[in-house]
Amino acid sequence: MSGLRLRYDVVVVGGGHAGAEAAAASARLGARTVLVTPDLTRIGQMSCNPAIGGVAKGTVAREVDALGGVMGRATDAASIQFRMLNRSKGPAVWGPRSQCDRALYPIAVRRILDELDNLDLFQEMVTGLHFEGRAKGVETRGGITIEADAVVVTAGTFLRGKIHVGGTAALGAGRAGEGPSIALAEALEAQGLEIARFKTGTPPRIDGRSVDYAKCVRQDGDSGPFRFSYYAREPFLDQRPCWITWAGEALKTIVNSNLARSALYGGEISGQGPRYCPSIEDKVKRFPDAPRHQVFLEPEGLETTELYVNGLSTSLPPDVQIDFLRSIPGLEEVKMTKPGYAIEYDYFPPDQLRHTLALREVPGLYFAGQINGTTGYEEAAGQGLVAGANAALAVQGRDPLVVERDQGYIGVLIDDLVTKGVDEPYRLFTSRAEFRLLLRQDNGPTRLGKLARSVGLLTSEQQRALGERLVQEARTMVWFRDHALAPAKANKVLGAVGSTPVQRPVRAGELLKRPGVTAGALLRAVGSEAPTVDLDVLATVETDVKYEGYVRRELDRAARLRAQAGFAIPEDAPYGEFKTLSFEARQKLARIRPANLAQASRVPGVSPADLQNLVMEVKRRMGETVSRETRASSSC
Amino acid sequence: MADSHSLLDTIVAQATPPGVGAVALIRLSGPRAPEIASELANDDEGPASAWPERRCRLRSLYRPGSDEVLDRALITLFRAPRSYTGEDLVEISTHGGVSIPATVVDACVALGARKAWPGEFTQRAYLNGKLDLTQAEAVGDLVAAGSPKQRAVALHQLERGLGERIAHLRGEVIGLSALLVQHIDFPEEDDAPTSIETIASRGERVACEMDRLLATAPAGELLRHGAITVLAGRPNSGKSSLFNALVGTERAIVTEEAGTTRDAIEAVVSIAGFPFRLVDTAGLRNSGSRVERMGIEIAYRYLASADVVLYCRETGGPAGVDETDFLQSLSCPVVKVFTKWDLATEGGVAGNGELPVSVVSGEGLSELKETLRDLVFQGVVEGRDEVPVVTSGRQAGLLMQARTEVGQFGEALARGIPPEVASAHLKTAESALEEILGVVATDDVLDRVFRDFCIGK
Repeated sequence: MSGLRLRYDVVVVGGGHAGAEAAAASARLGARTVLVTPDLTRIGQMSCNPAIGGVAKGTVAREVDALGGVMGRATDAASIQFRMLNRSKGPAVWGPRSQCDRALYPIAVRRILDELDNLDLFQEMVTGLHFEGRAKGVETRGGITIEADAVVVTAGTFLRGKIHVGGTAALGAGRAGEGPSIALAEALEAQGLEIARFKTGTPPRIDGRSVDYAKCVRQDGDSGPFRFSYYAREPFLDQRPCWITWAGEALKTIVNSNLARSALYGGEISGQGPRYCPSIEDKVKRFPDAPRHQVFLEPEGLETTELYVNGLSTSLPPDVQIDFLRSIPGLEEVKMTKPGYAIEYDYFPPDQLRHTLALREVPGLYFAGQINGTTGYEEAAGQGLVAGANAALAVQGRDPLVVERDQGYIGVLIDDLVTKGVDEPYRLFTSRAEFRLLLRQDNGPTRLGKLARSVGLLTSEQQRALGERLVQEARTMVWFRDHALAPAKANKVLGAVGSTPVQRPVRAGELLKRPGVTAGALLRAVGSEAPTVDLDVLATVETDVKYEGYVRRELDRAARLRAQAGFAIPEDAPYGEFKTLSFEARQKLARIRPANLAQASRVPGVSPADLQNLVMEVKRRMGETVSRETRASSSC
Repeated sequence: MADSHSLLDTIVAQATPPGVGAVALIRLSGPRAPEIASELANDDEGPASAWPERRCRLRSLYRPGSDEVLDRALITLFRAPRSYTGEDLVEISTHGGVSIPATVVDACVALGARKAWPGEFTQRAYLNGKLDLTQAEAVGDLVAAGSPKQRAVALHQLERGLGERIAHLRGEVIGLSALLVQHIDFPEEDDAPTSIETIASRGERVACEMDRLLATAPAGELLRHGAITVLAGRPNSGKSSLFNALVGTERAIVTEEAGTTRDAIEAVVSIAGFPFRLVDTAGLRNSGSRVERMGIEIAYRYLASADVVLYCRETGGPAGVDETDFLQSLSCPVVKVFTKWDLATEGGVAGNGELPVSVVSGEGLSELKETLRDLVFQGVVEGRDEVPVVTSGRQAGLLMQARTEVGQFGEALARGIPPEVASAHLKTAESALEEILGVVATDDVLDRVFRDFCIGK
């Protein structure tokens, strides 16, 4: 046994998207931090599709940036195609997405981590948890002990990971070509934590030189420049197109006649998979009437001819994969470079966590990412940042960092995980947020910048950029509120969208409220008198002014929710004795242990009547009445 | 959904049974109760905080933001914790009837109060340690005990299917949201987004269905509170005897004695299994020249809210001009009763649509009851197999809220508000419907999307 002992404040286990953010946030807060992972060259690896962002997910990537994280910058540094999804709709639901160079992304992550003073990287496989009444560090395969006051585990799909390619024997693996973590899974299980199993899948990769592009539809990125990062300005790379083709009846026939050979349908896999990312087997089986299925060919990078075949995730054997690929127009002669596979892995039902992502029952232990039953790089990154920051804050004896549901998708994500648990791999959608109009990709700094600054997550450079952004936004808001356009200028804009002309000067904000009128068009009409405004700020102002009534509505609802969150519920509330609550509510609440009434209201199985009774029970136990001050202050 | 349950709200409700009554009591409880009462009374005698406690004060109540007087009322302030709920509580005694108390409650809502849920005052009393749980439950029993069995059965029968209907409406609203979500969250799928026109017309269909259900609310109201049945006629036309006969042969639920402030006697009786709120104007017999001038005894304040009028005339008595005028002025159904049929001279004949009744012999009473039941409740009870009835004000209020939101969704689309923004209305509509059902929100919209669309890039 080696006698090496290392000593840190925080140890982060795993170097994926959660681990990288956790380590960066912890170090940024001044905690001495080490990131331990079996292969340092794979920090920030994109294990699945080579893209960051999308609807809701892109907003999370930007929230991570607003909070001083890694993902936004790394994405900008590796982006080889950018598209703003939903651009045809209002800016409220825009979803930025970048195809990233699979090789460059981890390089960018590593570069950003290397800027951090308090962060060390260490290559080892963690096999055990050092536990003395609380998590006190980890032990490694090589017998090294790393002592720490907080442990953040971000093991992704590695815990007892098992890969299925067709009906052949499953292979223990955390990712194609990398071994699973079995000892660590056992060590965590030994802490009495509940474990469950999920599955997910990937599609095959192909050689782009064997594709007949003439039979595919080319999809280029947006022409305008875009950066995920609000604060940093990474240089732009060359851009690459994606290609779209469609799998039709021929593929359906091949898949149908080979279903028995699929690991998913052959009965080898029991874990629940994500409904929004179904395998091609699922699609063919569940929607037999769909005449065709879309297939996206996504570039893997600038220096490779490999393509990622998005839409064809599968656990059929490689020979069937080749067959069905070659049944698709454009892929008749295709060469497969890597077969797709399904993977099963352990996760820890996340209702065992607090909102800080600390385990309720194991002090000092934090979980983030896929280990909590989520999918997606962005979801992992958001959790990693919150877990890493809270680990450091706890070590420093400071107040925790909690992003609320009205502040960010990160808040929605974590609150959903903790109060509702998961029954399939969790992914964010805009429909999970009750404040969709507030949580936009453009206004990350407005929502989270001050929080990031006050906690200490921003560098002085980032703080300066944040300050400039907030000032520009305020100025632009005032300009739209106060600046009146002469009829000649206003009518040029109104005429273009078929709106009734005006006779007298009208304020820009009023004009903006008319259907079809955009903030950009008004600024252009004014010409040189107009303030210079970033695209993000323009989107922020446009939505806040144009849909003012709706924004206000959401703000009001958010305020009510916060008032409800002001009613605290003790963590040791004796739910078993709360006989006025339904049996189901008592059971669920005893498991989730919500910290306040707002959280309790989101626990599944708790009805409005249960909530009222909960308040009564808690107040009676507490033997107190609501103080007059509290009541007066929240009579909204 | 849960936001409407904040304990920090100030709540308001009519404490006395709705419908007829000389006086109605409205309770306002919560942190802003004194303030709202003082705004309502437009009180120039200093802020509510300076009011004397537990002292009745006669005040005019004004429509918020206007000079319009709603009523003259007695206002009493009870300070926390010395009140029924243990909170600051204001009791407002207004004139009775249907419209005045409702207007005053609405005014309180306009000033920031929220309509209380059933039992919420008692719940707060419990919360604040004024009652223990068994006492609180007993209050609930007492309130429920007023309901005759037949009525409960009828209500149950009519409510049957309401839950399913509301659940169906919620499903429709969720379906609309799912169409939008599919369009917003999965922009790269093959399925073309559903057109705004299609979405708008589906929204209209949902709104129409809600309207049909809402249209049953008056019937539900009738069942819950009883059909207001006003006895009218000349002095000595046998009204009181008929009143007593109707009350006496059936189980009287509530009997209110004529008092100094009453201008009528009323009783809730079950007639042929349905609730009727009988109003006898006997109290007017010796008062006021108005009645003498008209020659017909009637408390006019009841007429506006009457569901049916029993017009009494002594058999063989003449129909004067005033009677014809009076009957023509009524907008509700009228049953003309020939009273004292036993005293009729041999061969007395009742005319068309006139019912001969003798309370002495009992002759005609059962025909009268059947006529009343058929006239008021037939349309309510029959032909209701398809549309269940909204029987409570709470249900009607929430359904109306949902209806309004769905309507606003359509209007917003028509104004060019993009669907992803306008969909906020659907969310609120969904919450209101869930509030009726007591359903716990889940990821139903996503479930719908995954069920209906082949998703997955």
